[in-house]
Amino acid sequence: MGKVIVITSGKGGVGKTTTTANIGAGLASLGNKVCLVDTDIGLRNLDVVLGLENRIVYDLLDVVEGNCRLRQALIKDKQYGENLVLLPAAQTREKDAVKPEQMLELVKELREMYDFVLLDSPAGIEHGFKNAIVGADAAIVVTTPEVSAVRDADRIIGLLEAAELYEPQLIINRVRPDMVRKGDMMDISDIDDILRIKILGVVPDDEDIIVSTNRGEPIVNDKRSKAGQAFRNICRRILGEEVPFLELQERKMLNWFKKILSGEAR
Amino acid sequence: MHSELCSIKGNRDGLVITIMDSARFSEVLTTLDRQLKSAQSFFAGASAKVMLKQGELGPEQLDSLEQLLAVYGMTLDREPPRLQQPVSEKLAVERPERQERGYEPENTLLVRRTIRSGQSLHYDGNVVVLGDVNPGAEVICTGDILVLGSLRGVAHAGAEGEVDATVFAFRLEPTQLRIAHLIARAPDGKVTKPAGPEVARIVGNTIEVSIYNH
Repeated sequence: MGKVIVITSGKGGVGKTTTTANIGAGLASLGNKVCLVDTDIGLRNLDVVLGLENRIVYDLLDVVEGNCRLRQALIKDKQYGENLVLLPAAQTREKDAVKPEQMLELVKELREMYDFVLLDSPAGIEHGFKNAIVGADAAIVVTTPEVSAVRDADRIIGLLEAAELYEPQLIINRVRPDMVRKGDMMDISDIDDILRIKILGVVPDDEDIIVSTNRGEPIVNDKRSKAGQAFRNICRRILGEEVPFLELQERKMLNWFKKILSGEAR
Repeated sequence: MHSELCSIKGNRDGLVITIMDSARFSEVLTTLDRQLKSAQSFFAGASAKVMLKQGELGPEQLDSLEQLLAVYGMTLDREPPRLQQPVSEKLAVERPERQERGYEPENTLLVRRTIRSGQSLHYDGNVVVLGDVNPGAEVICTGDILVLGSLRGVAHAGAEGEVDATVFAFRLEPTQLRIAHLIARAPDGKVTKPAGPEVARIVGNTIEVSIYNH
């Protein structure tokens, strides 16, 4: 029986969808069968990030309303095929079109079929969020090093605990080591000081993410990308491995030296 | 001062029936019956927990309590009654001025978790938080507030006008601090982090924060 993890944040735009896509692809590349569910009804975009938009025929709402069988709605990934599938959200309906009981039923069915079911939650704390967390065993909270995002993450952690989803884990996204070093950005310990939950990973800000998102190819398997490396580490930690955190604060000289030594442009 | 054998109070978890001494259980039942009668159907439909200050309660005693509550349309939460350490008499005697306040020193809520953004705690009495009060959270009570952690949210002590109320925290960095009718906030710009425990109280007509030394 698979594990159901909801990926949520409270605040919008912190990278929930990108995180879901990359963790999904990462877990699939490590040999797991993964199903991604976009629960952001009315504002779907996990399909876009995965580059699967043009293959959608049925969506989550069609499944719960019985317009199609579950398997018909699952879209196989371009790269990982059967091992990474997406259940897209409905684009033309409203969030309250799905009831929590229907979500629960759907998740129960998916959990039998896959090793991991990742639920991409909508921003906010209303109906859509409640739908997303209803069937989950565990939660990953995504935040960025901004006061407002951390505040919302804190709110979400409180709500998750109230919904008996204890011990959520944290991903801190879009960290800029240069800004942290200058004291212009909250550092990891500042965030940890407030949220005090286990940190699952720290993902550096990376322009390549924007490129990969637009192209519809997760960055997780890009060996040159630091963000990709961070996501690979997160996946290994989800699988129970102890992986040390990335050294983000490399000194410029050291980088320059490395470049010369390895003879490649990083 | 423990003249009352039992009391019924509401807190954020629902109703709590506090029994001072289980040895006088039959008297407790009579008192409770009288109290519930005077409250008429006010508590109907509510579920109550039992808090015990001394002694213990057997299943038969819980049964008779449940029956009594049922008469008034209430249910009993039968999780094992928690034994609460009575506040030492000495402490209460040493600080008699506390008695003149609107609340009893033992009327204290212990919160064993962090209060997070969006969560709000209201209590008639003192509040002790074994955790943090995060930004965006608020604690409002009629007595003192003690945070054994960081206080970064909003705290309002002495909310019913009690000017002697204090706010204590290991790290006192509140968004806003209110005691009785006064409001204080952190100064704008960079604020130095407090080095150790601090306590806020009303001095004259302003809220003053000072390093805590007992």
